[in-house]
Amino acid sequence: MNGKAVRMASKVEPLQTARELKQHQSHFELGHFAAEEQLVSNDRRSLLGILTGLIGLGITSLLGVTLGRYSVVPALAAANVSDWVDVVRLDAIPEGKPKKQTVLVAQNAGWGRFTSEQAVWLIKKGDQVTVFSSVCPHLGCTVNESANGFGCVCHNSAWTRDGETSGGPTPRGMDRLEHKVEDGVLKVKYQSFKQGIPEKVVAS
Amino acid sequence: MRASSLLNKAYSFIDERTGVKEVLHRSLDEPIRGGSRWAYVFGSALLLLFVIQALTGIFLTMYYVPSADHAHASVAYIQKAVPGGALLRGLHYYGSSAMIILLVTHCTQTFLFGAYKQKRELVWLIGSVLFLLTLCFAFTGQLLPWDQEAYFGTKVGTSIAGEVPLIGRLQQRILLGGTEVTSSTLSRFFMAHVFLLPVGLLLLSVLHVYLFRHAGPAGPFHQRADHRVDPFYPKQLFKDSLFFLFVFAVLVTVSTLAPAALGPQARPGSDFLARPPWYFLPLFQLLKYFSGPLTLIPTVVLPGLIFFTLFLLPFIDRKQERHPLKRPLATTALALLLLGSGSLIFLAKHQDQINPLFSAQLRRQDDLAKKFLKTEFRPQEVGPAQVSGTTNVHPPKAFVETCALCHGDSAEGNELGPTLLGVTEKPNRTKEDLLKILDNPPAYGLKDPMPESFPGLSDDDKRLIVNWLINLNNADSVSLLEQ
Repeated sequence: MNGKAVRMASKVEPLQTARELKQHQSHFELGHFAAEEQLVSNDRRSLLGILTGLIGLGITSLLGVTLGRYSVVPALAAANVSDWVDVVRLDAIPEGKPKKQTVLVAQNAGWGRFTSEQAVWLIKKGDQVTVFSSVCPHLGCTVNESANGFGCVCHNSAWTRDGETSGGPTPRGMDRLEHKVEDGVLKVKYQSFKQGIPEKVVAS
Repeated sequence: MRASSLLNKAYSFIDERTGVKEVLHRSLDEPIRGGSRWAYVFGSALLLLFVIQALTGIFLTMYYVPSADHAHASVAYIQKAVPGGALLRGLHYYGSSAMIILLVTHCTQTFLFGAYKQKRELVWLIGSVLFLLTLCFAFTGQLLPWDQEAYFGTKVGTSIAGEVPLIGRLQQRILLGGTEVTSSTLSRFFMAHVFLLPVGLLLLSVLHVYLFRHAGPAGPFHQRADHRVDPFYPKQLFKDSLFFLFVFAVLVTVSTLAPAALGPQARPGSDFLARPPWYFLPLFQLLKYFSGPLTLIPTVVLPGLIFFTLFLLPFIDRKQERHPLKRPLATTALALLLLGSGSLIFLAKHQDQINPLFSAQLRRQDDLAKKFLKTEFRPQEVGPAQVSGTTNVHPPKAFVETCALCHGDSAEGNELGPTLLGVTEKPNRTKEDLLKILDNPPAYGLKDPMPESFPGLSDDDKRLIVNWLINLNNADSVSLLEQ
């Protein structure tokens, strides 16, 4: 056991098997290395080996760091760009009945500024308008109207028309969106919130 | 002591189950007849460079979109906005040139050393296929950024493929995926560049290296007994690594000092002087000397002959002699080929330089590309919300060809030029002014990149453009088509 370890540590056994020796001789008409030559080359071996390793390490670390930044940084930079988006004229919202409305939300994602349609739920009671996100706070399915308010078909979460939880696995009530009215047009600050937790926290 | 014995135990454990010791021994202790040499570094540099190309290429596809609509925007994003993107793309872009330089050097070394002889014919044969595959890589990769250079380069390249007798048209259609360079072409080139060619190159490289290792290195070309033998590790491996470090350092430096070229997005109708990358210049230059049916000489006959000879070289040249000076015919042929290619490259560059029309156009294109590269990245608008206020009247052809490159397809402006929407509301921009501007831009203080004149525009063209612009700026526009 001990002897084996020493032999391996010395690492100077370029020709071990008879087959290799034969191959070696037939290729080069040559016997083995001289013993002294091996001792000399042993030192060189480790120094050149270390230098080779350093070169490899240098190149791979430069590439590794570059590829890492390249892959991760843009993912963290993506964000919604449109703070306030137009929803609909206030007088077009029916009284008391939930109305689903699509809004155009722009997001900078990589090479493009992608405008996508997102849905919000509007409920008007007199002058008061409530805007709910249609994204289920549980796992992000789309919330729809139900007989008694709102429901999410994915996992049977349910809410009243005020957005209060009335059943299912949802951790919180429906997410309300900030909104304002300018020149008779309802505008909303479209945001996404973290899912699966009882608190309403803006997803970043 | 204990740590090292633990390490040895771990090593034995793994070795017993994988045979890693034998693999390491075989790959590192390979005996090199005549000792290690700097002359042998090119093959492994090529292999490592291919790894770099593969790695950078894989990561470029993280943002790249192979569609004519978005390819250019995605490449501009990588180049201008993604941290490390310019370096990564630079490595990949200049890496292709480095591949070709190293390939030529590797082939030259193998050729001069006569290392394709003595049962190494298959190594050479597969090497020749690898050479061809690398050229295919260069050709397919050129289109992917979808800028002017990419588009027109591919257009000319595929047209040349179409000139081949009998199979030309068919081959061109298959390359293009139709009759024109379109998004279909881009998909095909992308597929070939990213999936087909890499798999081919990988498999053949493995075979190339395996066969080379099987035959063993040929060693020096002289016949005298040379008793020096180095194992591959450490001396040769160190030389290989140091040389590759040099190649890598050059690539990083060049990518940093002179970022990879990217011009404005391809505009099929525009006026662009296409020039191939330097490694295709010899063939390009030859095209100038032959016309009519003789065009086949530079497009088919000569490249065919060269590659045919290259492929079959070990079977044509069966003599055992390996010393380059004792093979005068072979050595002279190689020298002529290299010298000829070099002169043709020089001539191609020189003739463009001394032709005032070409040099001015090329300089302008170059300036425009550089300017584009310097502008800040602007994300492409995608989705239902589009630019409002533009009319449904198509811009005149002359506008598309001459102005749209900088002012946008619908005069909405882009990185290179301002929007022309609402231009008539600015001072000194009446209809008469606009016409005069097209006659003499500098008189209105307009500077580069606005050209000094528009010799390509007729008076009718100018009137059409200005009328269209005026219409764009009027809410109740009268359709130009009704005129």
